[in-house]
Amino acid sequence: MPLESAWELLARFSPRREGNSIWATVPTDEAPSLLEALYLQGWSYLSAISAVDWPQRGALELVYHLWSLEDKGFVHLKVELDRTAPEFPSLAQLFGGSAQVNEREIYELFGVDFPGNPALGPLFLEGWEGPPPFRKDFDWRAYVRDAYYSEAREEDRAYFQD
Amino acid sequence: MPISRTDTYLLPFGPAHPGSGNFRVWLTVQGERVVRAVAEPGFLHRGFEKLMEYRTPLQNSVLSDRICILEPLSWNLAFALAVERLQGMEVPARAQYIRTILAELTRIQSHLIWLGAAGLAMGFETAFKLALTYREEVLKLFEEVTGARVYPAGYIRPGGVRRDLPPGFPRRCLEALDRLEKDLWELDSVMLENPSFLARTRGLAPLSPEEAVRLGASGPPLRASGIPYDVRRDDPYLVYDQLEFQVASRDDGDALARFRVGRAELRESIGLVRQALQGLPAGEVALPPKPFARLPEGEAYVHIESAHGDAGVYLVSTGDKTPYRVKLRGPSFTLLIPVLEHLLVGVEVADVPVVFWSLNHCPADMDR
Repeated sequence: MPLESAWELLARFSPRREGNSIWATVPTDEAPSLLEALYLQGWSYLSAISAVDWPQRGALELVYHLWSLEDKGFVHLKVELDRTAPEFPSLAQLFGGSAQVNEREIYELFGVDFPGNPALGPLFLEGWEGPPPFRKDFDWRAYVRDAYYSEAREEDRAYFQD
Repeated sequence: MPISRTDTYLLPFGPAHPGSGNFRVWLTVQGERVVRAVAEPGFLHRGFEKLMEYRTPLQNSVLSDRICILEPLSWNLAFALAVERLQGMEVPARAQYIRTILAELTRIQSHLIWLGAAGLAMGFETAFKLALTYREEVLKLFEEVTGARVYPAGYIRPGGVRRDLPPGFPRRCLEALDRLEKDLWELDSVMLENPSFLARTRGLAPLSPEEAVRLGASGPPLRASGIPYDVRRDDPYLVYDQLEFQVASRDDGDALARFRVGRAELRESIGLVRQALQGLPAGEVALPPKPFARLPEGEAYVHIESAHGDAGVYLVSTGDKTPYRVKLRGPSFTLLIPVLEHLLVGVEVADVPVVFWSLNHCPADMDR
């Protein structure tokens, strides 16, 4: 059973089991080989990759949501990257187009580099030159106020009051 | 294939809304054949994941309407389930049945738009008008229940649903389903079983099971490629484990198979609504709302089988009133970027809209 074998594979990283899901945080340098081992065990449907920004502890966390079509369960594998220059090897070769496009989104919105990804260009944003906009320290409201409203205009003044 | 400068040109498909939805794909065309396709998303990027970090769960449940206009209730549901899993809430049984009824009605009207829009793109304009007429019946039901035809303003909210079904709803819903079931043959005859439709879709843009998984396909396109993955069956939520239904799937993987899976799902969804109406228990429809409560610290991942496929919500909380981070897995994100780019290579220009509309996508949940 893949859920049991995944549990064994991740046992030394004190995983957590919830129903048909396994959650585990693994060391960054071991993560690529663990993801490959999971892929070979049948965790081959990469449902999504999430990024979570933790400026308080200087980390950018990636969560790989792997679904097993045979075993009907999830492995949510988490890796913590250094927030100042976040970088993680691309899994586009292993998991295919799904990994490629998820990495591309995280590259644009969180500024994580994925060496080996064949096309890390802009995805949703047009002509964006600012910092990765989904990071915690990017103040959206201030950006929108300054870019689209003017304190001099009567109808915009409400946006500049606290 | 070497690309010559004299017979090769770049052709944008989209982003004019009636043709492509708010989405564009750049086609490199050689003669009549597409040799390369590059998706250009972003026309509907509203940044919901970030917006949700500023809002409480109840506010977010209203916001979640807008993730996909074709199925706002599905996203209400996915978000509510994520909050409930994080909080360990037990939702009253009647609410779970009402949610199931609405989720399947949502699938019915979304599939009708899908098939109708595909008809429009292929010149079956009668099919488009028929499909939208049928859909109207469902929208009237939504208006009765949620107060609005399209955007329910967070009718499905964490803890239950906003209010109970109006008196007489089960009877009117069953009557609408009977009419729909009786009339669907028209859609078959003018489009889905029409010889020219079959000739245009059979064998077109086949997707193998291996490719479908690697490209992250879900929903009808994945099931049409021989992989019967359906969250309702494989990871049951609401009351799906107590209802009987077949997971529609086919092995052919071509455009025709995708449409046929969609057509079969219409039938299954009608059956599911009838069963859920029959089993509808009495009782409360929601836990009391706690608009100012703090979310417990922790994380939850929930996914549902939305009309378009596997729709996921990853919720992270640090114990504030608002979520710390919300990640939304829109099924169209992979369908419209890697899957579409892969399937368009080698097809003729005239078939591009057919392949495009065979994928049952929603540009809004791709961009989020």
